[in-house]
Amino acid sequence: MYRSQKLAVKYLAAAIALFGVMTVAGLLSAYYYINPDFLFGMLHFNIAKILHIDTLVIWLLMGFMGAIYWFLPDELGREPVGIWLAEILFYVFCAAVAVVAVVFIVVQYGGSDQASLWFINQGRKYVEAPRWAALGVVAVMVVFGYNVIGTVIASRRMTGIVAVLMVDLIPLVALYLDAFPAVTNMSQDLFWWWWLVHLWVEATWEVLIGCIMALTLMQLLGTSRKIVESWLYIEVALVLGTGILGLGHHYFWIGTPNYWLGIGGFFSALEPLPLLGMVVHAVYDAGTHHMKATNRPALYWMMTEAFGNFLGGGVWGFMITLPQINLYAHGTQWTVSHGHFAFWGAYACGVISVAYLVVQKTRNSALVNGAAWKWSFAALNLGLIGMVGALLVAGMTQSFVERATGGSTLRAFIAGQEDPWFVSGMMLRFVFGLLFTFGYAILVYDLLTLGKRSVSVVAQPVSP
Amino acid sequence: MIQIQLLETALLLGLYILLAGGYALFYTLAWMWHRSSIRIAAIALYGMHGLVAAGIVFWAPLWLGWKLLLIASSLAILAIPTITLHHLERTHGTGSLSA
Repeated sequence: MYRSQKLAVKYLAAAIALFGVMTVAGLLSAYYYINPDFLFGMLHFNIAKILHIDTLVIWLLMGFMGAIYWFLPDELGREPVGIWLAEILFYVFCAAVAVVAVVFIVVQYGGSDQASLWFINQGRKYVEAPRWAALGVVAVMVVFGYNVIGTVIASRRMTGIVAVLMVDLIPLVALYLDAFPAVTNMSQDLFWWWWLVHLWVEATWEVLIGCIMALTLMQLLGTSRKIVESWLYIEVALVLGTGILGLGHHYFWIGTPNYWLGIGGFFSALEPLPLLGMVVHAVYDAGTHHMKATNRPALYWMMTEAFGNFLGGGVWGFMITLPQINLYAHGTQWTVSHGHFAFWGAYACGVISVAYLVVQKTRNSALVNGAAWKWSFAALNLGLIGMVGALLVAGMTQSFVERATGGSTLRAFIAGQEDPWFVSGMMLRFVFGLLFTFGYAILVYDLLTLGKRSVSVVAQPVSP
Repeated sequence: MIQIQLLETALLLGLYILLAGGYALFYTLAWMWHRSSIRIAAIALYGMHGLVAAGIVFWAPLWLGWKLLLIASSLAILAIPTITLHHLERTHGTGSLSA
């Protein structure tokens, strides 16, 4: 096994651990809606929410990096250049995440000065990490880029997937520089902040997960390079074609010119169309392999990725993307519902799929199956669907009672929060969150013990 | 916009894409398995998608430009599974699959 692949295992382990932190912080955030006095004066809702959202970003990023470090040496036939630096930075990255989390929990907030920005919290949603830690993330991403690009140069070998990956790494690193707030005008600040949040999530990350899924398909199902590269190019063209200017749907209500209503609405409305092609492709691939593979959990999670992306990004997103609806729905639990479903479908399922693939390879398992992954798969997906359904009901209530009927006054806000549909929705979200947590616990158990339990490893050859 | 139309329109938009996905799913299954019953289901789902689109166009209080975009999208949705499957078969180098 290459050193890079050993590093990949560490990154994926860290990702799954942070997935757990995200889940617990999410459960805590959900509980505050039921019992607002919970941990009063000790740990505020905003801190739990920061931990929930920031660990989401970090565990997915670590999962992506783990996947690339896993596939890269096989793809280019050599150890990545500068892998020693990546190994050191992995520990620095983990230590930095831990320190930032402790500061969030213990210190929580500071004064309106530069010291707070540097050492406590930058105050920008999704990228709250203090400036020193944000610089650290940049350093990690630059080394990650160096590992990939340097290895391509050193190996004098280039594949279509690696070419797409290399091009994608440039905006992936460059856009994160936008995490550092530089302007005091809130509209201007949000304008640039969305470049980071939207273009990472709906452009560079989409391309990155496309590369990872292409590499996974080749290892998991033995799909030919010609096929996966052909589809990767199409996906990149369609996702970037609709996703980049789809950015405009975040510009509707932040003080930007009116033309963003048209641009944002138009390109956002086109975004579900490539996802339809993805559904067709997933069903076709499942049909050609009759849903059989030597690693069933990896295959099922990959299929769930295609459907989850379509439902969460496509259906849930399309409900609220046109400006006339978005006027009432933005910033409510409705968008939270969409966000949960879309992140789950577009990214989380893919990382879990890669984790299963890596576990199979590292433990030399001929066949990965068993009952545990099915329980985990069912509980995680049912929990997630239950949560997004409950949040949808709560968000629709908010949009209707608080925004459309009440006119967004403080009284209307309170009426929305006290509405029985909203209250029930938030309670149900917590209940399904418990189910999701149960699924996560089984996932961890399964990943830790796969290959060590006789039931999950059957030494019989199965054609891919 | 009357308040309740907000929820009704949003749900119709969600249904519009959901039915498009159902059509794509069943169209692909019918293509692979050559089952007329599945093909009929795909046609029925696209028909329901068309009805929802018509409902949005004639009833929902959306701006005319969005309604025209929805009509164009419905035409694209009709073609996407066929185009995708043709390309898939060309790249895989196989004919239609049977169960």
